[in-house]
Amino acid sequence: MMRLIATTALCGALASAATAQNYEISVWVPGPSEGDRYRWAAIEMAADILEREAAIRGEELTIAFDYKSDFPGWAEFKQAVTLAAEAKDAPEIIVTSHLDIAPWSQAGYIVPVEDYLDLDAWPISDIYPNLMEIASVGGVQWAIPQDSESRPFFFWRAHMRAIGYTDAQIDALPDAVLKGEYTLKNVLEDAKKVVEAGLVEEGKGFFPRPSNGPDYAQFYQSFGGTLYDADTGQLVLDRAAMTAFYQFFVDAVAAGVTSRTHIGSDWDNWYAEVSNGRAAMWHGGTWHYGRYVKEGNTDFFGTVAFTLIPAGGNEGGRANTITHPLVYLVTDQGDKKVQDIAAQLIAIASEPRINSLHAIASAHLSITKSQSGVPLYAQDAWATAATQLLLPHANSQPNHPQYSVYSEAMWKGLESAWTGTQTPEAAVAALEAELSAVLGDALIVR
Amino acid sequence: MIFLAPALVAAVVFYILPVLMTAVIAFTDMSTATGIRGGEYALTERTLQTLAEADLPEETGAMLADGGYIVDAAGLAAVAAEFGPDLAARIGTAMGDTAFGSRRAFERALGELRAPELRITRDLKTAAALFQRSVLNTRHQTADSLRAALAAADIPREHHDQIIAAAYTGWSWTTRNFELLVSLPSNLRYALNTMLYVGVTLLFNVGMGLFLAISTFYLPQRSSATFRAIWFLPRILPPVLYVLMWKWMLLETGFIASVLATFGVPRINWMIETEVHAWVAIILINGVVGASFGMIIFASAIKAIPQTMLMAAEVDGASRWQQVRFIILPQMRWPILFTTAYQTLSLLASFEYILLATGGGPGSATEVWAMAAFRTALNNYGGNLQYGMGATFALVLVVIGTALSLIYLRFFNFQALLAKPRIET
Repeated sequence: MMRLIATTALCGALASAATAQNYEISVWVPGPSEGDRYRWAAIEMAADILEREAAIRGEELTIAFDYKSDFPGWAEFKQAVTLAAEAKDAPEIIVTSHLDIAPWSQAGYIVPVEDYLDLDAWPISDIYPNLMEIASVGGVQWAIPQDSESRPFFFWRAHMRAIGYTDAQIDALPDAVLKGEYTLKNVLEDAKKVVEAGLVEEGKGFFPRPSNGPDYAQFYQSFGGTLYDADTGQLVLDRAAMTAFYQFFVDAVAAGVTSRTHIGSDWDNWYAEVSNGRAAMWHGGTWHYGRYVKEGNTDFFGTVAFTLIPAGGNEGGRANTITHPLVYLVTDQGDKKVQDIAAQLIAIASEPRINSLHAIASAHLSITKSQSGVPLYAQDAWATAATQLLLPHANSQPNHPQYSVYSEAMWKGLESAWTGTQTPEAAVAALEAELSAVLGDALIVR
Repeated sequence: MIFLAPALVAAVVFYILPVLMTAVIAFTDMSTATGIRGGEYALTERTLQTLAEADLPEETGAMLADGGYIVDAAGLAAVAAEFGPDLAARIGTAMGDTAFGSRRAFERALGELRAPELRITRDLKTAAALFQRSVLNTRHQTADSLRAALAAADIPREHHDQIIAAAYTGWSWTTRNFELLVSLPSNLRYALNTMLYVGVTLLFNVGMGLFLAISTFYLPQRSSATFRAIWFLPRILPPVLYVLMWKWMLLETGFIASVLATFGVPRINWMIETEVHAWVAIILINGVVGASFGMIIFASAIKAIPQTMLMAAEVDGASRWQQVRFIILPQMRWPILFTTAYQTLSLLASFEYILLATGGGPGSATEVWAMAAFRTALNNYGGNLQYGMGATFALVLVVIGTALSLIYLRFFNFQALLAKPRIET
């Protein structure tokens, strides 16, 4: 009898050893902010669910979860990831900008999620197709969007009323901007009126973000510029649009509505000014919403109106907004089982309820259609309004390995024109010379 | 020899190796995208676009793009071996000899069979891969592996080399960085900025350092020590804090603007209102820190001058200026050489105060060479860091720094300075 029990116990132990699977999953996310904790916590929750599902199937699955988020900034984060990947010591899952997909996929640091996930199955099938597109390169689905956002244009309602707009007209601005009836020309005119009426200080009629970011490419698009030609895979420099874009900021300075020395000014000061009506118009990210409250603005909808970035008012110009989603990436671990688990965790973390935690905690927008049915998301006025108004019209910057060269040079040119060290024409000529030399065949000049 | 070993190892690891690596990387097109360790081979949509630009015949390009997934006998046999004959038969019946353009379309069709063997996604992916005939989007570790795949896909052999070269994901040797270095107008600007920055800051550093050292030398002992301690403060402050204090003073909302505003002067950003403002700010910020360094070196050098010489001069009726001109300055050649050489080299490579203060602006007005190297190799928004180009920038600094050191040594007649003193001490 004893022998039978012993044999049974041994068999049982062997069987469970055969099915026991232990994995260590580490996630790296940029930025330690509390609002962003669900970027990694969603994976931790997914690991718990996956373990429970395995247990129900009778499998023993253990996932040791770990995360790292205390990177001082984007540059340090990206360096840490690339060095770890070169040393074959990268975390299993990375949350980063979609712009990193192109260089990191070429370098072999990451594997396509489509190798592991059924893209037609829920919840992946529920993710907005344009976001899925942004997380892919060359027809290959490398990543899954982790969040979405957009970079709208804002108006301080009281100042608009003071220069003659009725509430109904202010409420109709999103539509007027979308149709191209209210353009950046109107922005300059109205900003000037606000400054001349003494409602805001000189230089704060139009108060853009003080540092480089995807936002500025929006103004290039406003004047009809395109960043990328999908047919040929080349980046595009549209001289006329680029000149008009630079000229707009020069005109804003000349009109006294924007400061010539605005670039490089303090971000904290910027938040305080735009949140409390000390600027008339500005542009910024949807995730700044949380910050307005912190800065003392408890009535966002009563004080602020928002629209797409208006069209330039020239031929070919269009109202637009850029979304710059972060994505979940699976790194090349040389072990398909680990990569499979990592991909499954990402899929679970993308389920509407879990993703909504991140969306609302960090004032980001949803990735899946059915999040509009998740109470937490649906009951958040900002998330709902921003999703409906902005996301359908959002495009992204291209996942091209050389885009960083393009975007840095575009910013330098803007800075030169804005600060008056070069005319817009000269700045665009310098930009063209620089990009043509560095990018060669990867660039089309129009 | 054994005593030399630690010094030798330190010299190699911390000095020679970094310079050698910079020199090597400068001759590559290494970037985040190419990786550091070397590359593999992958044909992607972008490779096809590049090949089309490079005049690969359209038919060959089309062959590479096509292929996709074909339900053929070979694939069915592989499925039979992996999943059993039942599944192979089922797939063969449902979609035998059918070609699918994309992976997603084929996987979708396979999924719709609802075969029990393929219920788990992992198995479905495995089965689908058995029918892959496309050479696109598969990573090969070696060129031979890709060559074999190209041959299997009947791609004409005469194009294999061109395709393999385009499919290489890693870095390659090139002199293009140096061509760009001399041809880009922006680089000329950075070079001129650097000359202005190093030249004027150096003059300020050494001149101000000397002035402070000499003027405090004639002060009573206690007040001169206090004075020097105050001048030394900027050097011991963390750069971020130090520049922040300058910003509080110079920004539109800062001290100077606020004081002047009471006299009706419009508020401006004194840090970057114009290029001139930016340069004055940069030179002062760096100069004040640098001057304190020179001051300490010079002050101790003056103290080393035998008092008797100054006393004798005093007795002979030499004025203060004559003492400085004929006694102090001639004996300061070595510390001046040292400070000039040291500060030139450190200014050439330094940009942290500029980065914190003006960020290189307005426009590129205060962007210096070392900062361009930093931005190119280590910091940009898009994330594809250009290691090769950044190393080329850095290598130029190494070469200039070495050349300048040699010139300084010759100019100041280093040998003579190290010669035995002719006066008894």
